[in-house]
Amino acid sequence: MNPHLVWSKSLHWEKYFRPQTIHEALKILEQFDGKARIIAGGTDLLIQIRRKEIELKTLVDISRIPGLDEIKLENGLIKIGALVTHSQVVQSPLIHERALALCEGASQLGSPQIRNLGTVVGNVVNGQPGADTTIPLLALNAIVKVARKEKEQNIPLTEFFIDTGKTIVDSTREIVTEISFPALIEGETSVSLRLARRKALALPILTTSIFISADLGKRIFNYARIALGPVAAIPFRAKDAESILISAPIKEEVIKETAQKAAQKSNPRNSLLRGGEEYRKAMVAVLVERGIHKGLERLEI
Amino acid sequence: MAKEKIQLEVNGKKFNLKVNPDELLVDVIRNDIGLTGTKVGCREGECGACSVILNGKVIPSCLVPVMKADGGKILTIEGLEKEGELHPLQKAFVQKGAIQCGFCTPGMLLSAKNLLDQNANPTLEEIKIAISGVLCRCTGYQKIIEAIRTASEIIRNQRV
Repeated sequence: MNPHLVWSKSLHWEKYFRPQTIHEALKILEQFDGKARIIAGGTDLLIQIRRKEIELKTLVDISRIPGLDEIKLENGLIKIGALVTHSQVVQSPLIHERALALCEGASQLGSPQIRNLGTVVGNVVNGQPGADTTIPLLALNAIVKVARKEKEQNIPLTEFFIDTGKTIVDSTREIVTEISFPALIEGETSVSLRLARRKALALPILTTSIFISADLGKRIFNYARIALGPVAAIPFRAKDAESILISAPIKEEVIKETAQKAAQKSNPRNSLLRGGEEYRKAMVAVLVERGIHKGLERLEI
Repeated sequence: MAKEKIQLEVNGKKFNLKVNPDELLVDVIRNDIGLTGTKVGCREGECGACSVILNGKVIPSCLVPVMKADGGKILTIEGLEKEGELHPLQKAFVQKGAIQCGFCTPGMLLSAKNLLDQNANPTLEEIKIAISGVLCRCTGYQKIIEAIRTASEIIRNQRV
Protein backbone atom coordinates (compact mmCIF):
# COMPACT_ATOMS: atom_id res chain seq x y z
CA MET A 1 0.00 0.00 0.00
CA ASN A 2 1.16 3.50 -0.72
CA PRO A 3 2.42 4.70 2.67
CA HIS A 4 1.09 8.19 1.97
CA LEU A 5 -2.45 6.85 2.07
CA VAL A 6 -2.03 6.02 5.75
CA TRP A 7 -2.83 9.22 7.55
CA SER A 8 -4.22 9.90 10.97
CA LYS A 9 -5.79 13.15 12.09
CA SER A 10 -4.92 12.69 15.74
CA LEU A 11 -1.46 11.72 16.79
CA HIS A 12 -1.95 9.86 20.09
CA TRP A 13 1.08 9.92 22.25
CA GLU A 14 0.59 9.61 25.97
CA LYS A 15 3.44 11.43 27.59
CA TYR A 16 5.45 14.50 26.70
CA PHE A 17 8.62 15.13 28.69
CA ARG A 18 10.63 18.35 28.69
CA PRO A 19 13.96 17.54 30.38
CA GLN A 20 16.36 20.32 31.40
CA THR A 21 19.59 18.42 30.74
CA ILE A 22 20.96 15.86 28.28
CA HIS A 23 21.56 13.51 31.19
CA GLU A 24 17.92 13.72 32.23
CA ALA A 25 16.77 13.16 28.62
CA LEU A 26 18.93 10.04 28.30
CA LYS A 27 17.52 8.70 31.58
CA ILE A 28 13.94 9.09 30.32
CA LEU A 29 14.84 7.30 27.06
CA GLU A 30 16.40 4.47 29.05
CA GLN A 31 13.39 4.20 31.32
CA PHE A 32 11.06 3.77 28.32
CA ASP A 33 13.39 1.25 26.70
CA GLY A 34 12.90 2.07 23.01
CA LYS A 35 9.32 3.35 23.30
CA ALA A 36 10.19 7.03 23.77
CA ARG A 37 11.74 9.24 21.13
CA ILE A 38 13.55 12.57 20.94
CA ILE A 39 11.77 15.56 19.41
CA ALA A 40 13.57 18.81 18.54
CA GLY A 41 11.88 20.86 15.78
CA GLY A 42 9.44 18.07 15.00
CA THR A 43 8.83 19.12 11.38
CA ASP A 44 9.65 15.64 10.06
CA LEU A 45 8.73 13.59 13.13
CA LEU A 46 5.12 14.76 13.43
CA ILE A 47 4.47 13.90 9.79
CA GLN A 48 6.06 10.48 10.26
CA ILE A 49 3.80 9.85 13.25
CA ARG A 50 0.76 10.99 11.25
CA ARG A 51 1.61 8.63 8.41
CA LYS A 52 2.18 5.88 10.99
CA GLU A 53 5.74 5.38 9.80
CA ILE A 54 6.70 5.70 13.45
CA GLU A 55 4.60 4.58 16.38
CA LEU A 56 5.38 5.77 19.84
CA LYS A 57 3.84 6.50 23.20
CA THR A 58 6.26 9.06 24.58
CA LEU A 59 8.06 12.12 23.28
CA VAL A 60 11.13 13.65 24.89
CA ASP A 61 11.39 17.31 23.88
CA ILE A 62 14.97 18.60 24.14
CA SER A 63 14.05 22.21 23.31
CA ARG A 64 14.29 23.36 26.97
CA ILE A 65 17.88 22.16 27.38
CA PRO A 66 20.09 25.24 27.61
CA GLY A 67 23.11 25.75 25.34
CA LEU A 68 21.98 23.59 22.42
CA ASP A 69 20.69 26.52 20.36
CA GLU A 70 24.06 28.10 19.56
CA ILE A 71 26.35 28.36 16.54
CA LYS A 72 29.91 28.68 17.82
CA LEU A 73 33.42 28.99 16.42
CA GLU A 74 35.98 27.18 18.59
CA ASN A 75 39.57 26.40 17.56
CA GLY A 76 38.72 26.72 13.89
CA LEU A 77 35.67 24.48 14.20
CA ILE A 78 32.12 25.67 13.59
CA LYS A 79 29.80 23.92 16.04
CA ILE A 80 26.06 23.71 15.49
CA GLY A 81 23.98 22.70 18.50
CA ALA A 82 21.05 20.28 18.28
CA LEU A 83 18.44 23.05 18.52
CA VAL A 84 19.88 25.41 15.89
CA THR A 85 17.18 26.03 13.26
CA HIS A 86 17.66 26.41 9.53
CA SER A 87 16.73 30.09 9.84
CA GLN A 88 19.50 30.63 12.40
CA VAL A 89 22.01 29.11 9.98
CA VAL A 90 20.75 31.21 7.07
CA GLN A 91 21.04 34.42 9.13
CA SER A 92 24.41 33.61 10.74
CA PRO A 93 27.24 35.88 9.48
CA LEU A 94 29.74 33.19 10.58
CA ILE A 95 28.10 30.51 8.40
CA HIS A 96 27.77 32.99 5.56
CA GLU A 97 31.47 33.89 5.64
CA ARG A 98 33.01 30.53 6.42
CA ALA A 99 30.57 27.81 5.31
CA LEU A 100 28.49 29.34 2.54
CA ALA A 101 27.41 25.94 1.17
CA LEU A 102 25.52 25.23 4.39
CA CYS A 103 23.83 28.63 4.28
CA GLU A 104 22.77 27.95 0.69
CA GLY A 105 21.52 24.46 1.53
CA ALA A 106 19.51 25.58 4.56
CA SER A 107 18.00 28.53 2.67
CA GLN A 108 16.43 26.13 0.13
CA LEU A 109 14.83 23.81 2.67
CA GLY A 110 11.04 23.70 2.96
CA SER A 111 9.59 27.16 3.55
CA PRO A 112 10.25 30.06 5.95
CA GLN A 113 7.82 28.44 8.40
CA ILE A 114 9.63 25.10 8.29
CA ARG A 115 13.04 26.79 8.49
CA ASN A 116 11.94 28.65 11.63
CA LEU A 117 10.96 25.42 13.34
CA GLY A 118 13.10 22.60 11.95
CA THR A 119 16.67 21.99 13.09
CA VAL A 120 19.81 21.22 11.10
CA VAL A 121 20.69 18.31 13.39
CA GLY A 122 17.17 16.90 12.99
CA ASN A 123 17.50 17.12 9.21
CA VAL A 124 20.69 15.05 9.40
CA VAL A 125 19.40 12.54 11.97
CA ASN A 126 16.34 11.90 9.82
CA GLY A 127 18.72 10.25 7.36
CA GLN A 128 17.22 11.27 4.02
CA PRO A 129 19.69 10.94 1.12
CA GLY A 130 18.83 14.34 -0.36
CA ALA A 131 18.46 16.34 2.86
CA ASP A 132 19.25 20.00 2.18
CA THR A 133 21.65 20.46 5.08
CA THR A 134 23.14 16.97 5.08
CA ILE A 135 24.66 17.33 1.61
CA PRO A 136 26.59 20.56 2.45
CA LEU A 137 27.67 19.14 5.82
CA LEU A 138 29.04 16.10 4.00
CA ALA A 139 31.06 18.34 1.69
CA LEU A 140 32.27 20.32 4.71
CA ASN A 141 33.56 17.12 6.34
CA ALA A 142 31.32 17.30 9.39
CA ILE A 143 31.51 15.27 12.57
CA VAL A 144 28.47 14.26 14.61
CA LYS A 145 28.59 14.26 18.40
CA VAL A 146 26.36 11.60 19.94
CA ALA A 147 25.42 11.48 23.63
CA ARG A 148 24.85 7.99 24.95
CA LYS A 149 24.29 6.53 28.37
CA GLU A 150 27.79 5.08 28.45
CA LYS A 151 29.83 7.79 26.80
CA GLU A 152 29.91 10.55 24.24
CA GLN A 153 31.10 9.65 20.77
CA ASN A 154 32.24 11.62 17.72
CA ILE A 155 31.31 10.04 14.41
CA PRO A 156 32.35 11.31 10.95
CA LEU A 157 29.27 12.11 8.86
CA THR A 158 30.65 9.78 6.16
CA GLU A 159 30.07 6.85 8.56
CA PHE A 160 26.74 8.08 9.89
CA PHE A 161 24.23 6.80 7.32
CA ILE A 162 23.12 3.18 6.95
CA ASP A 163 20.12 3.26 4.63
CA THR A 164 17.37 5.67 3.53
CA GLY A 165 15.90 7.11 6.72
CA LYS A 166 18.32 5.10 8.83
CA THR A 167 21.44 6.28 10.61
CA ILE A 168 23.68 4.71 13.23
CA VAL A 169 21.93 6.87 15.81
CA ASP A 170 18.84 5.46 17.49
CA SER A 171 16.67 8.39 18.58
CA THR A 172 14.93 6.19 21.12
CA ARG A 173 18.20 5.72 23.01
CA GLU A 174 20.71 8.35 21.92
CA ILE A 175 20.88 12.09 21.25
CA VAL A 176 22.93 13.95 18.66
CA THR A 177 23.97 17.06 20.58
CA GLU A 178 26.14 18.83 17.99
CA ILE A 179 27.51 18.79 14.48
CA SER A 180 30.88 20.42 13.81
CA PHE A 181 33.16 21.02 10.84
CA PRO A 182 36.26 23.08 10.05
CA ALA A 183 35.48 26.72 9.19
CA LEU A 184 36.75 27.56 5.72
CA ILE A 185 40.06 29.42 5.47
CA GLU A 186 41.89 31.36 2.74
CA GLY A 187 42.08 29.34 -0.49
CA GLU A 188 38.98 27.32 0.33
CA THR A 189 35.43 27.74 -0.87
CA SER A 190 32.12 25.90 -0.82
CA VAL A 191 28.96 25.97 -2.86
CA SER A 192 25.55 24.27 -2.91
CA LEU A 193 23.29 23.95 -5.94
CA ARG A 194 19.80 22.54 -6.07
CA LEU A 195 17.44 21.43 -8.80
CA ALA A 196 13.77 21.25 -7.84
CA ARG A 197 10.35 21.65 -9.43
CA ARG A 198 9.56 24.80 -7.47
CA LYS A 199 11.51 27.20 -5.30
CA ALA A 200 9.64 26.39 -2.09
CA LEU A 201 8.21 23.30 -0.46
CA ALA A 202 9.61 21.03 -3.14
CA LEU A 203 11.93 18.13 -2.46
CA PRO A 204 15.09 18.32 -4.57
CA ILE A 205 15.36 16.47 -7.87
CA LEU A 206 19.09 16.74 -7.23
CA THR A 207 21.28 18.64 -4.88
CA THR A 208 25.04 18.99 -4.75
CA SER A 209 27.54 20.63 -2.44
CA ILE A 210 31.16 21.09 -3.35
CA PHE A 211 34.12 22.06 -1.21
CA ILE A 212 37.25 23.24 -3.03
CA SER A 213 40.76 23.95 -1.78
CA ALA A 214 42.82 25.53 -4.54
CA ASP A 215 46.02 27.47 -5.21
CA LEU A 216 45.03 30.16 -7.67
CA GLY A 217 48.64 31.38 -7.98
CA LYS A 218 49.75 28.01 -9.32
CA ARG A 219 46.36 27.46 -11.03
CA ILE A 220 45.88 24.08 -9.35
CA PHE A 221 43.22 22.42 -7.23
CA ASN A 222 44.64 21.11 -3.96
CA TYR A 223 41.71 18.83 -3.30
CA ALA A 224 37.90 18.85 -3.26
CA ARG A 225 34.90 17.13 -1.74
CA ILE A 226 31.77 16.55 -3.82
CA ALA A 227 28.55 15.51 -2.09
CA LEU A 228 25.38 14.58 -3.95
CA GLY A 229 21.80 13.70 -3.10
CA PRO A 230 19.49 11.95 -3.59
CA VAL A 231 21.46 9.68 -5.95
CA ALA A 232 21.86 6.62 -3.74
CA ALA A 233 20.23 5.08 -0.66
CA ILE A 234 22.34 7.34 1.53
CA PRO A 235 23.88 10.81 1.08
CA PHE A 236 26.67 10.27 -1.45
CA ARG A 237 30.28 11.44 -1.70
CA ALA A 238 31.61 11.19 -5.27
CA LYS A 239 35.09 10.10 -4.17
CA ASP A 240 36.20 8.87 -7.60
CA ALA A 241 35.39 12.27 -9.02
CA GLU A 242 37.12 14.00 -6.12
CA SER A 243 40.33 12.06 -6.73
CA ILE A 244 40.61 13.54 -10.24
CA LEU A 245 40.96 16.99 -8.71
CA ILE A 246 43.82 16.18 -6.31
CA SER A 247 46.68 18.52 -7.31
CA ALA A 248 45.14 18.78 -10.77
CA PRO A 249 45.48 21.89 -12.95
CA ILE A 250 42.50 24.25 -13.02
CA LYS A 251 41.45 23.50 -16.60
CA GLU A 252 38.18 23.08 -18.39
CA GLU A 253 38.83 19.44 -19.39
CA VAL A 254 39.69 18.49 -15.80
CA ILE A 255 36.44 20.01 -14.54
CA LYS A 256 34.44 18.25 -17.26
CA GLU A 257 36.07 14.89 -16.53
CA THR A 258 35.29 15.30 -12.82
CA ALA A 259 31.65 16.11 -13.55
CA GLN A 260 31.34 13.10 -15.89
CA LYS A 261 32.87 10.80 -13.28
CA ALA A 262 30.46 12.07 -10.61
CA ALA A 263 27.52 11.34 -12.93
CA GLN A 264 28.88 7.89 -13.80
CA LYS A 265 29.21 6.92 -10.15
CA SER A 266 25.87 8.24 -8.97
CA ASN A 267 22.85 6.04 -9.09
CA PRO A 268 19.62 8.08 -9.05
CA ARG A 269 16.36 6.19 -9.29
CA ASN A 270 13.50 6.63 -11.71
CA SER A 271 11.02 8.64 -9.73
CA LEU A 272 7.63 10.13 -10.53
CA LEU A 273 8.44 12.89 -8.09
CA ARG A 274 12.04 13.59 -9.01
CA GLY A 275 12.31 12.60 -12.67
CA GLY A 276 13.83 9.81 -14.74
CA GLU A 277 17.14 8.14 -14.00
CA GLU A 278 18.83 9.15 -17.25
CA TYR A 279 17.79 12.76 -16.95
CA ARG A 280 18.90 12.96 -13.36
CA LYS A 281 22.25 11.32 -14.12
CA ALA A 282 22.88 13.79 -16.93
CA MET A 283 21.97 16.62 -14.61
CA VAL A 284 24.49 15.44 -11.99
CA ALA A 285 27.26 16.26 -14.47
CA VAL A 286 25.69 19.67 -15.20
CA LEU A 287 25.36 20.58 -11.53
CA VAL A 288 28.85 19.42 -10.58
CA GLU A 289 30.42 21.33 -13.45
CA ARG A 290 28.41 24.43 -12.58
CA GLY A 291 29.27 24.05 -8.90
CA ILE A 292 33.02 23.82 -9.50
CA HIS A 293 32.89 26.92 -11.72
CA LYS A 294 30.89 28.81 -9.13
CA GLY A 295 33.35 27.78 -6.41
CA LEU A 296 36.30 28.97 -8.48
CA GLU A 297 34.53 32.29 -9.15
CA ARG A 298 34.11 32.75 -5.43
CA LEU A 299 37.80 32.05 -4.80
CA GLU A 300 38.82 34.72 -7.27
CA ILE A 301 36.82 37.48 -5.62
CA MET B 1 -4.74 10.38 29.57
CA ALA B 2 -3.62 12.80 32.28
CA LYS B 3 -4.14 16.44 31.37
CA GLU B 4 -1.25 18.87 31.63
CA LYS B 5 -1.39 22.48 32.79
CA ILE B 6 0.12 25.00 30.42
CA GLN B 7 0.14 28.74 29.89
CA LEU B 8 0.00 30.57 26.58
CA GLU B 9 -0.01 34.29 25.90
CA VAL B 10 -2.17 34.81 22.84
CA ASN B 11 -2.53 38.30 21.34
CA GLY B 12 -1.36 39.82 24.63
CA LYS B 13 -3.80 37.86 26.80
CA LYS B 14 -2.71 35.08 29.18
CA PHE B 15 -4.52 31.73 29.07
CA ASN B 16 -4.12 29.00 31.67
CA LEU B 17 -5.19 25.76 30.06
CA LYS B 18 -5.50 22.07 30.76
CA VAL B 19 -4.60 20.10 27.65
CA ASN B 20 -3.97 16.55 26.53
CA PRO B 21 -0.21 16.15 26.00
CA ASP B 22 -0.71 15.02 22.38
CA GLU B 23 -2.62 18.11 21.29
CA LEU B 24 -1.23 20.45 18.68
CA LEU B 25 -0.97 24.20 19.01
CA VAL B 26 -3.35 24.83 16.11
CA ASP B 27 -6.15 22.78 17.72
CA VAL B 28 -5.74 24.45 21.11
CA ILE B 29 -5.86 27.89 19.49
CA ARG B 30 -9.04 26.99 17.62
CA ASN B 31 -10.89 24.72 20.05
CA ASP B 32 -9.77 25.72 23.55
CA ILE B 33 -9.12 29.42 23.03
CA GLY B 34 -11.79 29.76 20.36
CA LEU B 35 -9.82 31.77 17.81
CA THR B 36 -10.80 30.20 14.51
CA GLY B 37 -9.04 32.72 12.28
CA THR B 38 -6.10 30.32 12.26
CA LYS B 39 -7.01 27.76 9.60
CA VAL B 40 -6.30 24.06 9.29
CA GLY B 41 -5.31 22.86 5.84
CA CYS B 42 -2.92 19.99 5.28
CA ARG B 43 -1.72 19.30 8.84
CA GLU B 44 1.72 18.59 7.38
CA GLY B 45 3.32 22.05 7.26
CA GLU B 46 2.91 22.34 3.48
CA CYS B 47 0.03 24.79 3.02
CA GLY B 48 0.80 27.46 5.64
CA ALA B 49 -2.88 28.10 6.50
CA CYS B 50 -2.15 27.43 10.19
CA SER B 51 0.74 29.94 10.39
CA VAL B 52 0.99 31.92 13.62
CA ILE B 53 3.82 33.98 15.07
CA LEU B 54 5.34 32.15 18.06
CA ASN B 55 7.98 34.03 20.06
CA GLY B 56 8.64 36.36 17.13
CA LYS B 57 8.84 33.76 14.38
CA VAL B 58 6.20 32.62 11.93
CA ILE B 59 5.71 28.85 12.25
CA PRO B 60 3.19 26.21 11.13
CA SER B 61 1.07 25.64 14.26
CA CYS B 62 0.01 22.21 12.98
CA LEU B 63 3.54 20.93 13.54
CA VAL B 64 3.95 22.26 17.08
CA PRO B 65 2.88 20.08 20.00
CA VAL B 66 1.13 22.47 22.39
CA MET B 67 3.47 21.30 25.15
CA LYS B 68 6.36 22.72 23.16
CA ALA B 69 4.63 26.10 22.95
CA ASP B 70 3.99 26.21 26.74
CA GLY B 71 4.99 29.62 28.11
CA GLY B 72 5.20 31.08 24.63
CA LYS B 73 3.90 34.34 23.17
CA ILE B 74 1.63 33.88 20.19
CA LEU B 75 0.21 36.30 17.67
CA THR B 76 -2.74 35.06 15.61
CA ILE B 77 -4.62 36.88 12.88
CA GLU B 78 -7.13 38.16 15.47
CA GLY B 79 -4.31 40.05 17.20
CA LEU B 80 -3.27 42.04 14.15
CA GLU B 81 -5.84 44.84 14.44
CA LYS B 82 -5.40 47.41 17.18
CA GLU B 83 -8.42 48.92 18.97
CA GLY B 84 -10.76 48.16 16.11
CA GLU B 85 -8.42 49.52 13.46
CA LEU B 86 -7.00 47.17 10.88
CA HIS B 87 -3.22 46.76 10.58
CA PRO B 88 -1.74 48.53 7.50
CA LEU B 89 -1.16 45.09 5.97
CA GLN B 90 -4.82 44.17 6.39
CA LYS B 91 -5.92 47.49 4.89
CA ALA B 92 -3.60 47.00 1.92
CA PHE B 93 -4.92 43.45 1.36
CA VAL B 94 -8.47 44.84 1.23
CA GLN B 95 -7.55 47.76 -1.03
CA LYS B 96 -5.50 45.71 -3.49
CA GLY B 97 -7.99 42.85 -3.74
CA ALA B 98 -5.44 40.43 -2.32
CA ILE B 99 -8.20 38.30 -0.80
CA GLN B 100 -10.55 36.00 -2.63
CA CYS B 101 -11.73 32.96 -0.69
CA GLY B 102 -9.71 34.14 2.30
CA PHE B 103 -8.51 30.76 3.53
CA CYS B 104 -4.82 31.55 3.05
CA THR B 105 -5.17 35.17 4.17
CA PRO B 106 -4.30 34.72 7.88
CA GLY B 107 -1.14 32.81 6.96
CA MET B 108 -0.25 35.35 4.26
CA LEU B 109 -0.74 38.29 6.61
CA LEU B 110 1.28 36.78 9.45
CA SER B 111 4.07 35.77 7.05
CA ALA B 112 4.12 39.34 5.74
CA LYS B 113 4.00 40.79 9.28
CA ASN B 114 6.97 38.62 10.28
CA LEU B 115 8.89 39.89 7.24
CA LEU B 116 8.11 43.58 7.82
CA ASP B 117 8.98 43.31 11.54
CA GLN B 118 12.49 42.26 10.54
CA ASN B 119 12.84 44.20 7.31
CA ALA B 120 10.72 47.30 6.70
CA ASN B 121 11.96 47.74 3.15
CA PRO B 122 11.91 44.32 1.51
CA THR B 123 12.76 43.68 -2.13
CA LEU B 124 10.33 41.91 -4.44
CA GLU B 125 12.38 38.72 -4.08
CA GLU B 126 12.31 38.97 -0.27
CA ILE B 127 8.52 39.35 -0.32
CA LYS B 128 8.19 36.30 -2.57
CA ILE B 129 10.38 34.23 -0.27
CA ALA B 130 8.48 35.43 2.82
CA ILE B 131 5.14 34.18 1.48
CA SER B 132 6.54 31.04 -0.16
CA GLY B 133 5.35 28.92 2.78
CA VAL B 134 1.66 29.73 2.21
CA LEU B 135 -0.35 28.33 -0.67
CA CYS B 136 -3.01 30.46 -2.35
CA ARG B 137 -5.15 28.89 -5.09
CA CYS B 138 -7.23 31.99 -5.93
CA THR B 139 -5.22 35.14 -6.41
CA GLY B 140 -2.15 34.08 -8.37
CA TYR B 141 -0.12 35.85 -5.66
CA GLN B 142 0.41 39.05 -7.66
CA LYS B 143 -2.08 41.13 -5.69
CA ILE B 144 -0.78 39.74 -2.41
CA ILE B 145 2.74 40.84 -3.36
CA GLU B 146 1.44 44.30 -4.36
CA ALA B 147 -0.45 44.61 -1.07
CA ILE B 148 2.66 43.78 0.97
CA ARG B 149 4.67 46.35 -1.01
CA THR B 150 2.02 48.99 -0.39
CA ALA B 151 1.86 48.17 3.32
CA SER B 152 5.63 48.32 3.67
CA GLU B 153 5.59 51.84 2.20
CA ILE B 154 2.82 52.94 4.55
CA ILE B 155 4.61 51.47 7.57
CA ARG B 156 7.90 53.16 6.59
CA ASN B 157 6.16 56.52 6.17
CA GLN B 158 4.52 56.15 9.58
CA ARG B 159 7.91 55.67 11.20
CA VAL B 160 9.44 58.78 9.65
